[in-house]
Amino acid sequence: MTSEAIDAAKIEAEQIKSFRDFLFSYNKLSELCFVDCVWDFTSRTIKDQENSCAVNCAEKFLKANQRISQCFQEFQVLSNENALAMAKK
Amino acid sequence: MAATIPQMDAAKMQLVQDLEIEMMSDMYNRMTAACHKKCIPPKYKDAELVKGESVCLDRCVAKYLDIHERVGRKLTQMSLQDDEAVKKLQGEMPRM
Repeated sequence: MTSEAIDAAKIEAEQIKSFRDFLFSYNKLSELCFVDCVWDFTSRTIKDQENSCAVNCAEKFLKANQRISQCFQEFQVLSNENALAMAKK
Repeated sequence: MAATIPQMDAAKMQLVQDLEIEMMSDMYNRMTAACHKKCIPPKYKDAELVKGESVCLDRCVAKYLDIHERVGRKLTQMSLQDDEAVKKLQGEMPRM
C-alpha cells in the first residue's frame, strides 16, 4: 500500500469511528429524552407537550455537550501549560 | 442512511449495514430497559403480565420509536444548521 492509500484508509477509519460515536450518542439522547419527557401511557400517540419537551431536550443536550467540551478544552490548555512550566523547572 | 453517503462501494455498504444493525440492536436494548422501567412496577407478586402492563408496554414501544424519530429529525436539522454556519464563516474568512 502506498503511503497515500494508508493515509486515506486511516482517515476513513476515523470517519467510521466518529460516525459510530455519533450514532451511539443519538441512541443515548433518544433514551434520555424519552425517559425524561414521556410519562403518559394512556395513548399511543405523542402529545404536543411531550413533543416539545423531546425537541427541547435534544437541543439542550447538544448545547450542554458543546459547553462541556469547551470547558474541557480550556482545562486541557491550562493543564498543558502547567505541565510545560513544571517540566522547565 | 445509505442514500446520504456518496460513492458507496461494496465494502463501505457492508460497514454501513453492520453499523446499522449494531445501532438498531443498541436502540432495542435501551427501549426495552426504558419501557420496563416505565411500565412494570418492581413488585413481583405474580409472574404473569397484567393487562395494564401489556397495554402500557405496547404504547411505550410506539412512543419510544416516535420519539427516536423526532430526535433524529431534530439532530439532522441542527447539524445542517451547523454546517451552514461553518460554510458562512469559511466564506467570510480571508482565504490563506
